[in-house]
Amino acid sequence: MSSVSDRRPLAAAAVALLVLIGGCDRSVQPTETLPPLQAASLDADAGAWRMFVLAAPEQVAVAAPAATTSDAYRAELAAVKAAQAAMTRAQRANVEYWSGGGVLRWNQVMRELVARYNLPPAPRPDGSYPVPDAENPFADPNFPFASPPYAARAYSYVSVAQYEALKATWHWKFRYNRAAPAKVDAGVQALAPVGDLPAYPSEDAVLAGATAEMLKLLFPGSVEEITRRAAEEREAALLSGRATASDVAAGLALGRSVAALVIARARADGMGAAGGTAALWQGMATAATARGEVAWLSQETPARPPMLPNFGAVQAWTMTAAQLATLDPPAPPSTSSARMAEDLAEVKRVTSNLTREQLAVALKWNDGAGTYTPPGHWNDIAAEYVRDARMSEVRAARVFAALNMAMHDAAVACWAIKFRHYNPRPVQLDPTIKTSIGLPNFPAYPSGHSTFSAAASTVLGAYFPSAAGEFAAQAEEAGISRLYGGIHYRADIENGKAHGLRIGAAVVQAVR
Amino acid sequence: MPRRTPPPLLAALVAAALPGALPAQTVDDGVVLPARFGYAMVAYGVDRWDRYWEGTRLRDNANIGTLTTRTVGLGFGYGLTDRLTLVASLPYVRTEASDGVLQGQRGMQDLTVAVKLRALQGRTAGGTAFQALLTAGAAAPTTDYTPDFLPMSIGLASRRAMLRAAVRAEGRAGWFADAGAGHTWRSTVTLDRPAYFTDDRLVLSDEVAMPDVVDWSATAGWQARGLRVPVTLAGQRTLGGGDIRRQDMPFVSNRMDFTRVQAQAAYQIPGVALDAFVGGSRVLAGRNVGRSSQLFAGVVGVFRL
Repeated sequence: MSSVSDRRPLAAAAVALLVLIGGCDRSVQPTETLPPLQAASLDADAGAWRMFVLAAPEQVAVAAPAATTSDAYRAELAAVKAAQAAMTRAQRANVEYWSGGGVLRWNQVMRELVARYNLPPAPRPDGSYPVPDAENPFADPNFPFASPPYAARAYSYVSVAQYEALKATWHWKFRYNRAAPAKVDAGVQALAPVGDLPAYPSEDAVLAGATAEMLKLLFPGSVEEITRRAAEEREAALLSGRATASDVAAGLALGRSVAALVIARARADGMGAAGGTAALWQGMATAATARGEVAWLSQETPARPPMLPNFGAVQAWTMTAAQLATLDPPAPPSTSSARMAEDLAEVKRVTSNLTREQLAVALKWNDGAGTYTPPGHWNDIAAEYVRDARMSEVRAARVFAALNMAMHDAAVACWAIKFRHYNPRPVQLDPTIKTSIGLPNFPAYPSGHSTFSAAASTVLGAYFPSAAGEFAAQAEEAGISRLYGGIHYRADIENGKAHGLRIGAAVVQAVR
Repeated sequence: MPRRTPPPLLAALVAAALPGALPAQTVDDGVVLPARFGYAMVAYGVDRWDRYWEGTRLRDNANIGTLTTRTVGLGFGYGLTDRLTLVASLPYVRTEASDGVLQGQRGMQDLTVAVKLRALQGRTAGGTAFQALLTAGAAAPTTDYTPDFLPMSIGLASRRAMLRAAVRAEGRAGWFADAGAGHTWRSTVTLDRPAYFTDDRLVLSDEVAMPDVVDWSATAGWQARGLRVPVTLAGQRTLGGGDIRRQDMPFVSNRMDFTRVQAQAAYQIPGVALDAFVGGSRVLAGRNVGRSSQLFAGVVGVFRL
């Protein structure tokens, strides 16, 4: 055989291979890009916006700063210049990272923490399940299990602490009106956008202080990372030319003090009892049976205790329990009703003939174990709109606070109803139904996804009216994804959505 | 020198067309066909596991029970020249869990196309024949299956490019041995969701970077009177990727490693240009994969154009 004829196809194959390798995407952009934040407005009146935990913006006092003409302040300016002159490449990258906005960056960090801790405990060999222990967060299972209700509450506490702290910050900033070092002294470089916002106390340090305290409480196993990030944010404030040491120190103290007030609320909000007891959920099952209904049973092997059966008793943000109850949806169709039979048949029909497009929708909104949960998904959606609107930190915090208060209140209300009715999942009534996403281990009615998403889309629609239709469509898709996944009946989805819309509207009124 | 007869017992080729539950999507080390000879193969395999490695922890999962993967593999080969052979394979895969609620998946998986070059051949004074083979291949999904529903997904859905080198020796007394190793480059895969957590990191993208994979195999066997019995030890190492976390689901870019042993027997049916083969394999050690046992059987027909 001629060697030439051998080589040609091989050469062609080698070239094709190289083209294939070269033409393939091989790497991934791991995070949302956040350009340096040039806030579209100063929001000088934000100190007067409605408070939720603090009684007034002056509840935590901030002492008057030294004048920019003082020796003490000049020494601080000299220190900033010296630090800028000695900056390392890593410090420069850190300044750039935080210039994207502290509220948005911490929101990304928080989503990562939720995804890291959103794993249910593995069963013990004897078939029982260990309970995560806050006193021993590194054990198996890690603390916390950042399930959707836990996550909804966590996102809300961090967002509310940030929002309260920033409103107080704005109040003191405009009280004292001390400009940023890069504005005071031309020798200080502005390595991140430095606008007309007064620098004292530093909003970056407030965010670092308030957020780190909240996150340490909620994710004690990640204290080291949280502390490191907070220190990096404070360092970035100084190196960027936005704050001097006293701006940072006053901000850190204010942020921590506000967090302490929010933490006091968290310790008394009923979360400690949300896990309930075996007697509690057995009583719920017995009551459902007594009403003539088929009671929910865990479909996991070994049977797992239901997820946070007493979360419905946790304190909501914007309403009392009685106010929240006025928004409740009706009881679900009886498990022996014709409507239930129709809904069950629909789940069977849809899951047995699932299209690839329907599977994609189910997977898109799965948000199950190991993910940032449905509330995290809505934070993810919100982040791009907040970024594109170039919101000031306090305005961005307001959007996330409203969004996350709405989802927390939706989670509380939804969980109360789920455990009141203790309604079985479709696979319990028809074991031939197979799911294309993980089956949540708690009662079906109403759909948490639908409730969360309707509430979230309502809030986001209020802040970004031009995208309201898009948010509504996303919420609709999130809801129906649970039918495609085989884990919810249509009645769960429709009633959850209507309930979520009512809660969202109430939260919009409360935050305005 | 090339013989003008069908090469014996092409069934050695079969393993590659049967990915089973393992992401062992390599091209085989097999043989080089004479020019204008071809083969067509069909094989059926059943792969089962009831324990899997969650990272390095071997565990069972009562919500999966036994995961069964059934594969119908189609394989084709054609001698472009005496030294250069074109091969292709395409499996149909179906998964099913014995317990729990998760829906089994099914569909055509990935088409693999490769060219194999006999780069060297020779014979020692004692009569042992040697050859060295170089293989370059590429693979891509043929359908839009999701890789985001492991362990039920039928594959990992990345496009891949592969390079392999292998040497083989055949003695006059009937023994033979192969050794080979390969490298696979993998494209990103796209999920239907906007974010995922793996390797201790939240990635805010629907794109997943897939680490490269290296694999190796060593075979020893014996052949006589139309019967051929190879025994293979093979392994795969993924050059990156995260572990399955405690009680988490597997993820497409996990660090999937394994070592497995495989044995098969192939028989050249007298009077027809057809080989039949049966075999089995067992995963001995692994990481983020099932501890699989596989049984397979098939036929290979040789033809001349």
